[in-house]
Amino acid sequence: MPKRRDILAIVLIVLPWTLLITVWHQSAITPLLAARKYDRHESRRDSRNTFTLKESCTSENSKDIVEVVRTEYVYSRQLPWSDVLPTLHVVTPTYSRPVQKAELTRLANTFLHVPNLHWILVEDSQRQTPLVTRLLQETGLNYTHLNVETPRNYKLRGDMRDPRIPRGTMQRNLALRWLRETFSPNNSNSQPGIVYFADDDNTYSLDLFEEMRSTRKVSVWPVAFVGGLRYESPKVNTLGKVYGWKTVFDPNRPFAIDMAGFAVNLRLILFKPQAYFKLRGVKGGYQESSLLRELVTLSDLEPKAANCTKVLVWHTRTEKPVLVNEGKKGFTDSNVEI
Amino acid sequence: MATRMKLKLKTVFVLYFMVSLMGLIYALMQLGQRCDCAEHDMPKDRTISRLRGELHRLQEQMRKAEPTKPPQKLAVKPAQPTIYVITPTYTRFVQKAELTRLAQTFLHVPQLHWILVEDSPHKTPLVSGFLASSGLAYTHLHTPTPRDRKLQEGDPSWLKPRGAEQRNEGLRWLREDRRGQPGADTQLGVVYFADDDNTYSLQLFEEMRGTQRVSVWPVGLVGGMRYERPVVEGGKVVRFHTGWRPSRPFPLDMAGFAVSLKLVIANQDACFDGDAPMGFLESSFLQGLVTMDELEPKAENCTKVLVWHTRTEKPKMKREEALQKQGLGSDTAVEV
Repeated sequence: MPKRRDILAIVLIVLPWTLLITVWHQSAITPLLAARKYDRHESRRDSRNTFTLKESCTSENSKDIVEVVRTEYVYSRQLPWSDVLPTLHVVTPTYSRPVQKAELTRLANTFLHVPNLHWILVEDSQRQTPLVTRLLQETGLNYTHLNVETPRNYKLRGDMRDPRIPRGTMQRNLALRWLRETFSPNNSNSQPGIVYFADDDNTYSLDLFEEMRSTRKVSVWPVAFVGGLRYESPKVNTLGKVYGWKTVFDPNRPFAIDMAGFAVNLRLILFKPQAYFKLRGVKGGYQESSLLRELVTLSDLEPKAANCTKVLVWHTRTEKPVLVNEGKKGFTDSNVEI
Repeated sequence: MATRMKLKLKTVFVLYFMVSLMGLIYALMQLGQRCDCAEHDMPKDRTISRLRGELHRLQEQMRKAEPTKPPQKLAVKPAQPTIYVITPTYTRFVQKAELTRLAQTFLHVPQLHWILVEDSPHKTPLVSGFLASSGLAYTHLHTPTPRDRKLQEGDPSWLKPRGAEQRNEGLRWLREDRRGQPGADTQLGVVYFADDDNTYSLQLFEEMRGTQRVSVWPVGLVGGMRYERPVVEGGKVVRFHTGWRPSRPFPLDMAGFAVSLKLVIANQDACFDGDAPMGFLESSFLQGLVTMDELEPKAENCTKVLVWHTRTEKPKMKREEALQKQGLGSDTAVEV
């Protein structure tokens, strides 16, 4: 009889511990869940992309505490992917508004034609929205989904003394930071990449992506419908070098070019880790210069699109839909996603 | 023996209690160190939802892995209906951009034939060149809108119905083309009127492919609302959910319906009435073709938005115009 009690006692002691250990074990295994996916797809992406959930509070300065929440998922789908072509990392900031899903849909339809494209979509939101999450999954594209919220006081303030942060800046900077944390400068030769900032309402021809793929440092080309002109373009001399800017609006800017008018080699981004878009104190039209002047000089620029004589990207803008008939309470079912 | 047993048990339990308490404290300390910032209660929830999301995604991927075969599989079936997309277009600054991104969408849709009709007395080189390099199967037509029906500078966009003549021209060509090719197979198809500034999801085209007479679905961002849609009960359209003039025979947008080719050919006279009052253009065409209860609801009984009535802003050209006055306008040889 004592022996049975002994055994009972031992069992009672050991059982909770085994439970505890199994629970502990499971929580330790979850980061590997992400890695499993890659084995399935036989992707060449290694575990450096399996970031677990990280939270970091970054403060640009004590006044503007910004919470940056990052979750990264990189999927490799059945889209054609070559090991030789440089990857095009397309950074797109986006924000919620009625036309968002439409814009992202037609953008995705464009990107689906481009081989070796990696879409880095950065939401201007506190949390990743289900709309964008679902959309990205359904497209089948190779993507990374990030988000960072532009603090409200920056979005609304418009006085000249403290001009607001140009839209999309924080999101683009987050993408740059993600790139720098994901790719190391030492491997840059084995993972060639080009970084392009593509806004979600512009129109891109497929030729553009092939033009930018051969970027060595920073390449430039004309952009339609900017600066109040049919198109703005860099001035290229007979030697094929950029010497100026064919614009009316402030052609004396260091880089009088639109966000959609240039692409940067990933290597350059990694070698100059301090280069970011300037957040504050940036005059209208100088945003692109704030990044580019830290990366290249005018003579380093590579003109594309037949020496900047063809227009391959249009700075289209979508009208804001007038939702007058929704009324105060909303006529349509808000559960239906548009 | 019994008392010794009891004592032993007691001490063992006390020991066990102490050890597990220490273990718990240790675990709590571990958790606390992960993040120094404001929200301490969120990490766990986020991890859990992320895990759930990953699991769900893996399951979805496994389910989806089969259907995502290249579209060649579909093309093998000879009887897949062709979608004839009739798009009226007119020259303006954003025309090439609109057509470019439209073509990029259409290139994903198998068995699609694009009928592009220019509002112009003759074919423009921009559109001709564009279509030739698009990679799509296309027909390039043109017909000018009579002056009195044309929108003038400064007119709001809704003042006069646009594109009626061009769509009718598309229908005329389609009927004539089919007349020259008799046979039951050639009547297999669907006709869709796609404006060049809307946004179309790829799923929409698969939804409309099976149209027997006229199929309908919701359209986003139209009629002053988030979306307009037919209301479906018992698999049939019973009324229309729209904020503007719901008493129209067919209060739909042009992008919200598709007609089977058979029906178009059977009704040789059905066309768009360019003189119809505002908002009645679609009704003028559909009235002779179908009744409301014959409509086929798509997009999950008209609960999903697969097409958006987006409109593109007119680009500001003040500086361009100023330059042109000085004779310094941008090079017109560069096509925009």
